[in-house]
Amino acid sequence: MSVCIVEMPSYTYAVKGEKLLRARGYPCEINRKERPGGGGCGFSLVIKRNYPEAIGVLRAYSVPYTNIREGGD
Amino acid sequence: MPVNFDNAATTFPKPESVRRAASAAVAQLGGNAGRGGHSLSMKSSAAVYSARETIADFFGAQPENVVFTLNCTHALNMAIQGIMSDGGHMIISCLEHNSSTRPAATLASSGKISLSVADVYPDDDMTVESFRQLIRDDTKAIVCTLASNVTGQILPWKRIGKLCQKNDICFIADGAQACGIVDVRMSDGINILCTAGHKGLYGLTGTGLLISDGKYTIKPIIQGGTGTSSADLSQPVLLPEALESGTLNIPGIMSLKAGVEFVSKIGTEKIYRHENAVCSRFISETERLPGVRIYRDISAQYVPIVSFSIDGISPEAATAKLSEAGYCLRAGYHCAALAHNYLGTENGTIRFAPSIFSRESDAAALAGEIKKLLTK
Repeated sequence: MSVCIVEMPSYTYAVKGEKLLRARGYPCEINRKERPGGGGCGFSLVIKRNYPEAIGVLRAYSVPYTNIREGGD
Repeated sequence: MPVNFDNAATTFPKPESVRRAASAAVAQLGGNAGRGGHSLSMKSSAAVYSARETIADFFGAQPENVVFTLNCTHALNMAIQGIMSDGGHMIISCLEHNSSTRPAATLASSGKISLSVADVYPDDDMTVESFRQLIRDDTKAIVCTLASNVTGQILPWKRIGKLCQKNDICFIADGAQACGIVDVRMSDGINILCTAGHKGLYGLTGTGLLISDGKYTIKPIIQGGTGTSSADLSQPVLLPEALESGTLNIPGIMSLKAGVEFVSKIGTEKIYRHENAVCSRFISETERLPGVRIYRDISAQYVPIVSFSIDGISPEAATAKLSEAGYCLRAGYHCAALAHNYLGTENGTIRFAPSIFSRESDAAALAGEIKKLLTK
């Protein structure tokens, strides 16, 4: 199963997003950004299912993110 | 053990829970918060975020808008310089601490901003009017202490906040002597709250807070590593990292979280009532002593601070004698030169400032020592 990797601008927003999603039943976890290229180091929020809805929650609460990509399980 | 009545400088003793939190952080939070993906770093990062949540809840803010600083001076410098970096007009009160006055005066003397000083009166209507009259089309910020660190006078900050909102002016509030003692909320019209972590919030020294409501962008005065976007040579723009370059004081932050929890558990109303009772006892024991002058006005409101002077004895000489007797009080200008112009106290004052741990009996005993000074 693929997962959705949401690259976050900071740890602070990663954990804010994680708490919002977990409170609404979306399993997710914070990882250190796997590929530091592009913007450099950072944190990702790995969403394990229902990610279109989960991304909608982040948007609804104005939680900023820098990139979204699919990743392996 | 000396009796500390200099809690307006920093509270001591600290609550047991604060000491335990700091010690646990040193022992267990060994990773650098927000920096790595390993377990030690992630544990520290989570702990720091939990502190942001606790503090945000206490002041009615969002966790990401809680910025950890070294102290209130650091926060005020960031706020003042960060908001006024592109120039404009700023108003401060005549009771400001040098942590506001000096950065404001430096910007003004270099020609980068224009600066006005609002007079403060015992009557709140007159104080608010004093600020209102100084507002200009280019007024960008009002910097105002919530309570004077010299006399303890509470300024009408909610009304000043409304005045700022009405005129689209950034309200930078100095909460160093108010936070933890009276209820302070961002919804009071405050755009940027700067405060110490080590005074009424009972954290360790080396802790402070800048809390934003997110409305105004604060240009950073310090740039550097934030643990994110490392390939980008420009400073991140989002709070809190935009203003938190460099490694955080994790034991201090955890002590501050414990301190805020301590204050929340007791409640500011109870803390105020207790400390005010200690002040009242001190005043009742000293106000009738010949030669003792207390700088309070019956029509003003005060946080639990009492500024006084003794005829014929300099504040420094008096506090030296009181220190020998086991009582710690602050003498001098208290880093607030403008306030002494207002009070007419060219030699400064002696400041009595209790904490939640202070006892009325100690205040009475201190008054006894002051009486001895008068009879020598």
